[in-house]
Amino acid sequence: MTRFDDLYTEADTFLHRLDPRVKIFSVLLLSLLAFVLSHLLSLILLLSFIFLLLLLARARYSKTLFALKFVLRFMALIAVLWPIFDPSGTPVLARLGPVTITEPAIWRGITSAVRVGCLATVWYILMFTTSQRDLVRALVKLGLRFDFGLTLAIALRFFPAFGSVMESIIDAQRARGMEFEKGGVLTRSRRYVAVLGPAIVTALRTADTLSLALESRAYGARKDRTYLRDLRMSGGDYVALSIAIALLVVPAVARFAFEVPI
Amino acid sequence: MASGSSGEQGGKEPTGGAGFVSPKTVALYGVLTALTAAITFVTFVPFAPTKGYFNMGDSMVFFSAFAFGWRAGAICGGVGSAAADVLLGSGYFAPYTLVAKGSEGLVAGLIDRSGNGKRWIRIIAISVGGACMVATYFLSELYLLDVGWGAAIAEVPGNIIQVIVGGTVGSLLAWYVRKAYPTRSRA
Repeated sequence: MTRFDDLYTEADTFLHRLDPRVKIFSVLLLSLLAFVLSHLLSLILLLSFIFLLLLLARARYSKTLFALKFVLRFMALIAVLWPIFDPSGTPVLARLGPVTITEPAIWRGITSAVRVGCLATVWYILMFTTSQRDLVRALVKLGLRFDFGLTLAIALRFFPAFGSVMESIIDAQRARGMEFEKGGVLTRSRRYVAVLGPAIVTALRTADTLSLALESRAYGARKDRTYLRDLRMSGGDYVALSIAIALLVVPAVARFAFEVPI
Repeated sequence: MASGSSGEQGGKEPTGGAGFVSPKTVALYGVLTALTAAITFVTFVPFAPTKGYFNMGDSMVFFSAFAFGWRAGAICGGVGSAAADVLLGSGYFAPYTLVAKGSEGLVAGLIDRSGNGKRWIRIIAISVGGACMVATYFLSELYLLDVGWGAAIAEVPGNIIQVIVGGTVGSLLAWYVRKAYPTRSRA
């Protein structure tokens, strides 16, 4: 069990001040850039650029490590398993029965692992610097229907609440002698049924009260909603957006139009 | 608790409003989505090699699909699991999770609707929905993330176990909830 920790960290860097829409676009553009680049060195360059941005965003080490834990395992798995399943290429290094390990396959595996690392870490820039409220507001501003946005906001808001509800249910069952740490996957998941039942009942009750609260606040009185603070693009936002676009377009043109191997 | 938190949500400007989705549905879907994400997060057992966790999130996907219909299955399953991915720090998986778990809930809910709660139709619904999820993860890892055959295959057995466990637990829970809340389940 892991304690939930919101990835967002309050700070006042230029990445925090940036319009959330610009951040969403930049993350998408940088993700595309990871697919445009095919050379290991340029991907490492992109990865270090992302880490530089994370450093500038004053990301906390504990949170970064927590998030990186999952990614690093996946990257190692790709780098190890790729050469075993890819027998192409000429300098053969080892041959064990049906498995052929070649040098280019090892490099391809490492390249793909670094690309996945880029795709994973680029999200942290968005998650570390944007609060959930801003994220939902940006999505609504980008054309998501307001009621869907509200559903999403409710989901994000209640996620930690239900996390702690479930933890107290687990504690209550543990006090009655239930063991969650022992046994295989199937045994353990069968025990979790004793947690899921009460959790669902709590959730349904919460949904009932929540719908009353929504109605009492005149939800549905008008088709749109108004905001106290509207999102507005400033000059710096346009500069950041054009930098992000240039970061994607220049390498893409170089690779696909002029066939520069990057 | 509920009223206080919704006050925090729309605290700055208390008048919300949009015509189409009733407040009951918004509250139910929001809460189910949050519960899916929370269960994915809390019940993880380090097992599947790639993402590093095996979880009971699928039981919530099947539960939403069987107890509240295919729409709830698709939205709560897809968005909730994707949100859990983002909050757990593997956001690059979120788009694939959205499609994989969303289609799982959608297909399972649609097949189950024609069955009137018959047991074998529910089993077919779980297996076809689960197949959608496993196939989406496998194909997107292989062709879109380009992780190679090895890593993509390594994930499949864990996903299949997840479907079996999730399907069993989810349909059991749905059966109990339908019995306890006969009116709510058709909301």
